[in-house]
Amino acid sequence: MSLPHLFLFVGLPYAAILLFLVGTVQRYRNTGFKVSSLSSQFLEGRALFWGAVPFHFGILVVLLGHLIAFLLPGGTLLWNSSPVRLIVLEVTAFTFGLSTFVGLVALLVRRFTNPRVKMVTTRMDVALELLLLAQVVLGLWIALGYRWGSSWFAADLSPYLMSLFTFDPNITAVSAMPLVIQLHIIGAWLLIAIFPQTRLVHMLVAPLHYLARPYQRVIWNWDRAAIRNPETPWSEMRPKNN
Amino acid sequence: MSRLLLARLTVPALAALFAVWSPPVAPAGAATGAETFGSVCAACHTIGGGKRVGPDLAGVNDRRPAEWLLKFIRSSQALVESGDPVAVALFAEHKVAMPDFPYSDSEIREILEFVKRGGAGGAAQPPAAAALRTTTPEDVRKGLELFQGTLRFANRGPACNSCHHVNNDAVIGGGILAKELTTVFGQMGGPGVQAILGKPPFPVMDQAFASRPLTEDEIFALVAFLQDADQHQQFQKPRDYGFKLFTSGLAGLVFLLALYGLFWRRRKVHPVNHAIFARQVRTQ
Repeated sequence: MSLPHLFLFVGLPYAAILLFLVGTVQRYRNTGFKVSSLSSQFLEGRALFWGAVPFHFGILVVLLGHLIAFLLPGGTLLWNSSPVRLIVLEVTAFTFGLSTFVGLVALLVRRFTNPRVKMVTTRMDVALELLLLAQVVLGLWIALGYRWGSSWFAADLSPYLMSLFTFDPNITAVSAMPLVIQLHIIGAWLLIAIFPQTRLVHMLVAPLHYLARPYQRVIWNWDRAAIRNPETPWSEMRPKNN
Repeated sequence: MSRLLLARLTVPALAALFAVWSPPVAPAGAATGAETFGSVCAACHTIGGGKRVGPDLAGVNDRRPAEWLLKFIRSSQALVESGDPVAVALFAEHKVAMPDFPYSDSEIREILEFVKRGGAGGAAQPPAAAALRTTTPEDVRKGLELFQGTLRFANRGPACNSCHHVNNDAVIGGGILAKELTTVFGQMGGPGVQAILGKPPFPVMDQAFASRPLTEDEIFALVAFLQDADQHQQFQKPRDYGFKLFTSGLAGLVFLLALYGLFWRRRKVHPVNHAIFARQVRTQ
């Protein structure tokens, strides 16, 4: 167990989590209104659709998969005990991984080729998207080159992550993993470390309540004379905020 | 020092601090030579008990110089690749690469000291494994099911095919994180495979089964299956899952892109309530 391994698989994770927590609070307190993805949809919409939609659906499913394998390693191994279920899971994960890749490449091309988007691009945007691209490429490589990752993740990497959260780090397995997998793990910690300084903060303020809120009600006062008549009762809903 | 430079130095500086001050990491080197030999080396080597997966280590301190042993234990393959004649000959004889063990000089010397004492003061042999009895088709069947996970291990460890592939029509394509096992029985023999399954000398496998060890019956069934797989390998033509996984993913991607397009192609038209729009146009 060498010092570089200790640095990358114990020191870096703790540093990343600390930076994530402190940085997020600091950013929200200092520039709370800038805690967003700073959408560029008004500047360009068509290419954004074919980038953002495949990217976001892909990354949501892939991240959820990593989270489930981490939190429920026993359940993941139980699911994978049937070869058909294992293949369905792996193909689904790989498909959404490809969706992430295609979306991210489309977003990068748009960022570098559209002059309007280029104007609002920061150096951190470029650094983040390149790091994300490296992560996605490594993830796809691992899915094909070291297949049945869902099973060995549950058996070896879930205990590693859990050991970090219980402050009893065990990096024996992770130190012996192939370099591609180690790079993917290091990339993940780096993403967590820079999270508060990037547009990724929009994850924390995602408008999830939109999923459950009522439809927007538009009242069109087309018969103005009837509305001005005091005899006319409020038919369905009394307008609010005006 | 500018703020930017400070910010750039924050991650490595914090990481270094945490690495130094972090809670104690499960140590490989804290064990004594006897403990390390018993928990790691004994899976493949004996001291005076004859050849197992690797050579009998009785007298190895007299046969090889200490410096050579240090290098070989730390990375046998590096020595083989450097063309060292003894390492090349050993690899040719045993056909199995000894994994790298990143122990310190003093840790390796402790192990060698233990070997020099002939294993006195420690358990040089792995715990009693099930004696190899005659295998039956039921054992092979059970081993096959355990290998691909359709029959789960009693202690809920991961199925072998998570990381290993075996060229066999009856099991799905196995993982490729670790060594392919089609001919492992022929290379190591029953006792060798049994010893490795009982006490894996490979860190990734060892950690996967550390809290979920295999039972003796399970080990026996797996050895029986691997023996059968080795003997019948030339008749097996399993599917190539690697390429299929890629093409299935591509097909899935095309389906997803079509789905995204179908759902949102007219997304800017749908929010308009056409009934109200038409009514408004009529009244103007």
